[in-house]
Amino acid sequence: MIRLRGGSIRLRHRTIAAITGALAVLVAVALWSAGTGSTALGLDRTWAALLDEGTKGDEFILWDLRLPRLTTGLAVGACMGLSGALFQNLTRNPLGSPDILGLTQGATSGALVAIILTDASLQLTAGFAALGALATGLVIWALTRGGDPSGYRLVLVGIGVAAILAGVNGYLLTRTNTVDAFRAVHWLTGDLSGRDWGQAKTVAIVLAAGIVVVAFLSRGLDALRLGEASATGLGVHVTGTRVTALVAASVLTAGAVSVAGPLAFVALAAPHIAARLTGSTRSFMLSAIIGALIVTGADMIAVAGVGDRQLPTGVVTGVVGGLYLVWLLIAQRKKEVMS
Amino acid sequence: MTAGPLVVENATIGYGRVAICEGLSVDIPEGEFTVILGPNACGKSTLLKALARMLKPSAGRVLLDGKDIHSQPTRAVARRLGLLPQSPIAPDGITVADLVARGRYPHQGILKQWSAEDERVVAEAMAATDISELASRGVDELSGGQRQRVWIAMVLAQQTPLLLLDEPTTFLDITHQIEVLDLCAKLHREGRTLVAVLHDLNQAARYATHLIAMRDGEVVAEGAPADIVTADTVRQVFDLPCRIIDDPETGTPLVIPKALASARL
Repeated sequence: MIRLRGGSIRLRHRTIAAITGALAVLVAVALWSAGTGSTALGLDRTWAALLDEGTKGDEFILWDLRLPRLTTGLAVGACMGLSGALFQNLTRNPLGSPDILGLTQGATSGALVAIILTDASLQLTAGFAALGALATGLVIWALTRGGDPSGYRLVLVGIGVAAILAGVNGYLLTRTNTVDAFRAVHWLTGDLSGRDWGQAKTVAIVLAAGIVVVAFLSRGLDALRLGEASATGLGVHVTGTRVTALVAASVLTAGAVSVAGPLAFVALAAPHIAARLTGSTRSFMLSAIIGALIVTGADMIAVAGVGDRQLPTGVVTGVVGGLYLVWLLIAQRKKEVMS
Repeated sequence: MTAGPLVVENATIGYGRVAICEGLSVDIPEGEFTVILGPNACGKSTLLKALARMLKPSAGRVLLDGKDIHSQPTRAVARRLGLLPQSPIAPDGITVADLVARGRYPHQGILKQWSAEDERVVAEAMAATDISELASRGVDELSGGQRQRVWIAMVLAQQTPLLLLDEPTTFLDITHQIEVLDLCAKLHREGRTLVAVLHDLNQAARYATHLIAMRDGEVVAEGAPADIVTADTVRQVFDLPCRIIDDPETGTPLVIPKALASARL
């Protein structure tokens, strides 16, 4: 019994330690990111501007340019981390993520339609992208309805949907003029530059709603990891839990992608990194924090840019995420060879 | 005759449009160790899944304590009825104590996630299944027999008076089969009502206090093993010519398949 108590507390300690550590790093990165950019403010001037004691210029840079972008990045990353964790839990598959399942492609289709048919304001593009992601989520749900979404079924359906949408997106791009095509490609890369408080607020609301839903779902989802039969035996409402999780994950993706574009690999990588930090217990909260950390960190690198040119945020998350995926596959192979 | 805690009433049960059992009625007696047996595809697992509310009958009802099981809140059902499925999944790297703790789910809420009571019940469940020393080990390091005891401990942590076990011995070697069945017998002696699907006729006859023999989705015979395990029933259920002798260890019926005439020297 003593050993049991030691065991379970040790594990929970590990999760708490991982969350605390990740939060500390996140705060540090956020502060640093607020202080750097084309005009370096440094910690003291950033702090002064934060407390409303800085110069007018510093305060403008911080409150009107950097903080909206930073807040958007944090919320977008957290939404993606959370949605990735939900999808991986649902599919019980390390590839379960909105990128692989076609939601991101659905959002892209929506955004492309907006860019081609309308004046392509940021709000309108965002709205269409959100609709695209939600519609894709709905289609995937309809196609897997009644079946167990774990294993390869949902993933394969998602890959199919993603392939169809990639074709649609390619067609849409050929129908554009040069200006629109440039806009579209920029949107496709994913970027956080020029985001204002309105957008930050939108994602923050989506994130808050997502966190509440996940708080209610997480124990049921945890039980579902034992398989559908065991979860039923334990009194989990299996279908209800799955549908709610799928809807929540789709809304989170829609919110994040609509504002920031399809930042590559964040939703895929965040839950993996979180799982590596906590061992067998899965923490949705940690996945959200890691997602926020990836996006904020990547955005900082993007702002620093190459030479004197800033990069779109999506370029950095794509490169970092791609490297991570390759490393993951190599590490897994090593483990297989060893065992 | 009073109805047992679990009753199947004139139920049609199947998968999608394929009905495995039609018009099936079964009464699970309280306080007994009921074993459901029969040849492959006879509907025994289907019946167990219906009892566990994993399958909803397309006609008829399954009653738990006299009320339709599907009309009761699933968490309330989970406090009355525990289920050990055929192939549960242990998440990667999970420890024994953590897996057993999952059994507390129906007793917890979003605000009351872990109590001293939970701690005590989990420790008791591990002691009852003799896995206390394995508490901090990873489930994937264990042998098949140990793992099965861990899963039984998880179901015990649910603290239900009714336990359903779907082929709990299937993937185990003979020693661990007996170990798991002895554990089931102990749980039954402690006052729980058990329902298990088993493959092995002789094990069923030895451990069950109530047998349900099925074939083609129908109950062929039902009752105490001493009454219903006869050469006639075995032939009816399994198409197996046999002789029945007394088990020299327990006195329960022991089925001896007849040798083919050509194999007899």
